[in-house]
Order: sequence, then structure tokens, then C-alpha cells
Amino acid sequence: MLINKKEIILKINSIIFSSLDIRDVYETMSRELLKVIDFDRLTVTLITENNNLYETFVLSKDYEHTALQEGVLYPMEGSLMKRVVQFREPVIVEDTSLGRFQTDKVLYAEGIRSRFGYPLSYKGRVTGSVNFGSKRKDYYTKKHISFFSMIAPQLAMAIENTRLFNKTREAEKKYRSIIENSPDIIFEYTKDGTFPLISPSVERITGYSVEYFYNHKNCGTSLCHPDDRERVQNEVLCVLDGHVDSLMDLECRVIHKQGHIKWLSIEVLPLKEEGKIIGIEGFCRDITERKRLDELKNNLIRDVTHELKTPTAKIEMAIDMFERALSSGNKSLLEKGSQIPEILRNNLYRLKNATKNILDISRLESGIEPLKLTDISIHDIIKHIAGEKKESAGKKKIALIEQLPPDVPPIKADSDKIKHLVNHLIDNAIKFTDEGKITLAVKILPQAVEITVEDTGRGLDKDAQECVFEKFYKENPSAEGSGIGLAICKHIVQMHKGKIWVESEGRGKGSRFKFTLPIAEERKEQGTNQVIRLKAEG
Amino acid sequence: MMKELLIIEDDLEMQGFYKDMLRGEPFTVTVASNAEEGIKKAKEKQFNLVILDILMEGMTGDRIFALLRKDARYKAVPIIMASALDEKSYRCFQALGNVSFLEKPFNKERLLGEIAKRFETTK
Repeated sequence: MLINKKEIILKINSIIFSSLDIRDVYETMSRELLKVIDFDRLTVTLITENNNLYETFVLSKDYEHTALQEGVLYPMEGSLMKRVVQFREPVIVEDTSLGRFQTDKVLYAEGIRSRFGYPLSYKGRVTGSVNFGSKRKDYYTKKHISFFSMIAPQLAMAIENTRLFNKTREAEKKYRSIIENSPDIIFEYTKDGTFPLISPSVERITGYSVEYFYNHKNCGTSLCHPDDRERVQNEVLCVLDGHVDSLMDLECRVIHKQGHIKWLSIEVLPLKEEGKIIGIEGFCRDITERKRLDELKNNLIRDVTHELKTPTAKIEMAIDMFERALSSGNKSLLEKGSQIPEILRNNLYRLKNATKNILDISRLESGIEPLKLTDISIHDIIKHIAGEKKESAGKKKIALIEQLPPDVPPIKADSDKIKHLVNHLIDNAIKFTDEGKITLAVKILPQAVEITVEDTGRGLDKDAQECVFEKFYKENPSAEGSGIGLAICKHIVQMHKGKIWVESEGRGKGSRFKFTLPIAEERKEQGTNQVIRLKAEG
Repeated sequence: MMKELLIIEDDLEMQGFYKDMLRGEPFTVTVASNAEEGIKKAKEKQFNLVILDILMEGMTGDRIFALLRKDARYKAVPIIMASALDEKSYRCFQALGNVSFLEKPFNKERLLGEIAKRFETTK
């Protein structure tokens, strides 16, 4: 059966494009019938499940117009068909002008004078009827009925078969389309190491074509990562031996044709033939991206944990050091100038800072803290913070230069948050600069002010420039800091509908952190007016 | 002869703790402040034991570990990996042999115990 599946799929392909069609069946039927029964109009009607009429097809010798349409449902009520179906017997209408059935009136108007309907039954169930119509009054007789009764069973069977075939074909088409379009790999794999079925997505995921899998025995095993091979084989063996019914989310690595690794999650079910397990079937999902994110997340957790645990550990060790100094009488650690208080202070500060940052970003992200907007002077804020930072910059012999234009328009912003932002950018610049200068500049743009904190420090390569505002990003995992500061800055700028970015010519070449804050609407208008006035004066 | 210890640790305060704890103990202690310096010092002299911080700037402890193990002279030298993270994060090292894990914080007894244990198993 399995080997046949491939053949069946191929057959279905050919059938889909062959002429085996329900229309052809009717046409053949009509052509054949016409040889023995004269008619001007022939319809085959099939009963739908809720017992409406289903008009499938209309054919006639010289009949061009009819009120009935193919594929449209008509009510059974008042039709010849209802009678035929209900009593499971043929009915002759000698004269449609008498209007015995509702449909007689319609057909009379179309020129049909006499009719005859014959039930179609298949396996004891009435499936529909064949209806003849003639332009001649009183045309059909018992002779027609008796003749048609001889071919009706075969006809009913042919029609039913075609109908069923079409249903299956639809289903197969859907099935095929699922296989062909599935992002996951759908497969069947037999004990002898072959793939009777594998979906085209395999090429996108592994780089190897469907043909490759059909033609290479045991390629499933050879593509599997060596470290995962044994485990996967053992798990699959459990299914093949019938020890387990299925495998869910079996994760393994495969080696892509280009050499890189892809992570798959495989669902496996036994593939049976006549009750015997002959292989496995299932699907593989590409989880490479999920794995990458998992790793990223684990690294983030690791880095944050590290950032919190390192100062805690050092505080504990400093206390231990102090106690040992007490018991051993190591004076240098107990007297003035001992390094112990310094270590305690440093690490408490680091711990406090990390905790504060984590709380800050959580608060910002949760959005529970609305902005307190007031008119603020970015000029004054920078001037003030620069004043505060002179000392720590001076300690490292870094010059702090201000390039502030005199008439920076006020902006609507949350003063505390903007101070935090500027403060952090300057602190960062001092932290990553060993010599040179830090320049604080403000530029007035038509709709915004642009603030630049430029340093001559460490600089950032392209990758780092992209990630630096990401939460918990640290270029160097052991470096002090939570990796949250710039993420907070970005959040603050975005809350103010501004933009923040960094420019750097690369490692060791300094960096320029820039952000914009939009100028409040009314300010902008004032600004424009001013320009116009100036022009008028000019 | 005194045992030679190499400590590769980029945190100055941590270096201070090591020096303080190992003062007066029967070891000669050499401290390297980063990976490159550590590798260089390991080449200059044969150490009997290496204590390695895992998260360091430039090169992480696992890479230094691999580099050391590649060197024939350090194939069997006991290594202690130290980190503020717990042992679970570094399970992969255990398969590599003659390495143990020291979680920060540790006190003098724990450090000396770990060193003694390493020497014991290496004998």
C-alpha cells in the first residue's frame, strides 16, 4: 500500500488533468440515450443532503434556454422530481399545459409539452432522477419507462461513482496542496531507510531536494547531527518496535546542505500496513529560530543573574575578609585606608543600580507611569547635568564641552525622565572614554531639537550599534552594568515620540549618541510665524 | 617545592580576595588580569593548577579552558572554574575532565578545600 501511495499521487496527478469529468459522463450518457429515447430536454437532478433539489446538469438536443440553471439548488416542493423521489417510481406528464406540477408551468412556457421522470437509486437509496422533456404533447409512454428501467441502474451507478470520484478528487487535491504547501516537512519513512513520501518544504529547510530523499537510502540518518543521531535512532526504534505510540516534539539538529545547523522538532507516528508497523510517518518543524531566541533568552537571564550575583558575592567575601582580618589581627585591613569599605560601597552601588534599572525598565514597559509633561528647557537641563559631571569626567581627565545655542525653544516633556536620559548618556560616555573629550551639542531642527553626546572613547562596531539599545545587551558579558540603561533611554525617547540612535566609525573611534525630541505644536507655529515675519522684514 | 597556582581573573576586587585568602599558604600565586595575559603566563611557566574566571572580557573561560587543554603541558593540569553563576550553567565543562566548579562567593576554607581536592585527585 505504501509503495502504491507514490503511484497513487502520480495517478491523481494524471487524473486531475485527464478528461474524466462529471460533464463528460453526462455528455456520454446524453449522447447514448439519444440513440434510444428521443427528447428535447434532459436533466439529471440529484438530491442534496437536506433534501432540496440539486440541479446538476442540463442538456438538450435543440434547447437553448431554460429557467433552470446548473449548480443551483431548487426546492423539491411542487416539482415532478419530488413525486418521483417520494414514490420511487417513474412518472409521466402527458400534457404540461395542465400544470400538474409547478415545474410543468415553467417548462410549458419554455415549449416542453410532455415529460417523464425516472428515479435513480443506488444501493437502495434514491439519489435523484433523470428527467426527459419533449416538445410533443403526449409523447412518453410505458414503453419508454420499461426501456429506461433497463439502463437506469447502471446510469445511477455511473453518476454516483463520478460524484464520489469528484469528492475524493477534491479531497486528494486538498491533501496534495497541504503536503505541497506545508511549511513543515511531512514524511513517511520505512524500516529499510527509504522515504516513500516527503514534502517539498524539505528543500527549504535542509537544502536537499525531494528527489535526493527519494534516491538516497538512509539519508535521514546521515543528515542528522552526529551528536543527536544515536538518541534519535533509539527514540524512533521505540516507535518501530511498538513500545511507544508516538513521539512528540523530538528535537534534533540536522546539517543543512550548506553546512550550517538547523533545529527540527519532529512528531512521529507509526506507519502501519495491515496492522503491522512498517515505518514511521509524521512531520518536522523548523525550530531554528525558536532555538536561537531560547539561547538569547537564556543568555539574558544568565547575564542579569550574573550582574546581580557578582556584587552580592563580593559583599559577602568582603565581610568574610573583614572577619578573618579581625581574628588574625591583619591590621592593614582594619585600619584607615583599608580596601574593605571601598569594596562594600562599590558593590552596594552596583547592586542598587542594577536593581533600580530593572525596576525602571519594568515600570516603563508596563506603562503604569504616565509622562508628567511640562515646558522644559533642554538647554538648562544639559547645562545643569554637565556641571554635575565635570568632576567625574575630570577624574579621568576627560574634557566636557558644551555646544549649546542660546535660544533653544522649550519642549513639552517629562523633566525627570529627560534628566535621567541625559544623565545616563553622559555617564555612559565617561564610562567608555579613557581620554579625550565629551561634547554635548544641541541642534534646532524645524520640528524637533536634536541632542548629541559625542565621545572620543571606545566606539562601536556595526553589530553593536544595532543592538546597543536592546534590553540586557552587553558587548562584554563580564562588564559592569546591567545592560538596561540604554534600553531605558530608548523607552524614554519613544514615550516622547522622539528618535534615538548611535553613530560610530567603529571600534576605538568614539561614538555619537543622538536623540530628538519634537518641539510642541504651538511652538512650531510660533517658529514658522517668526520666519515669515523675518522674511517680511527682510 | 611550592605548588604554582595561576589565577586568571579580570576583576581587581576578586584578585584581592584570592591574594588575601592564599596569603601564607604553601603556594606561589600568579595573577593574570585577562585571558591573553593568562595564556601567555601559562606558556612561560608550568603551573600546577589554574583557577579560571568564566565570564571575562575578551575571551570567556570556556575558550581559555579549551586553549589550555590543547597545550600538551596542560592536558592533565587541574583547573577550577569560578563564577557567580551556579554550576548548572556550566555542566558542559564536566565532561572535559579534571575540572571542578567554584561558585562565588566562597570563603578561604572552601577555596583551600577545592584546591586540595584537585591536587588529591590529580595525584
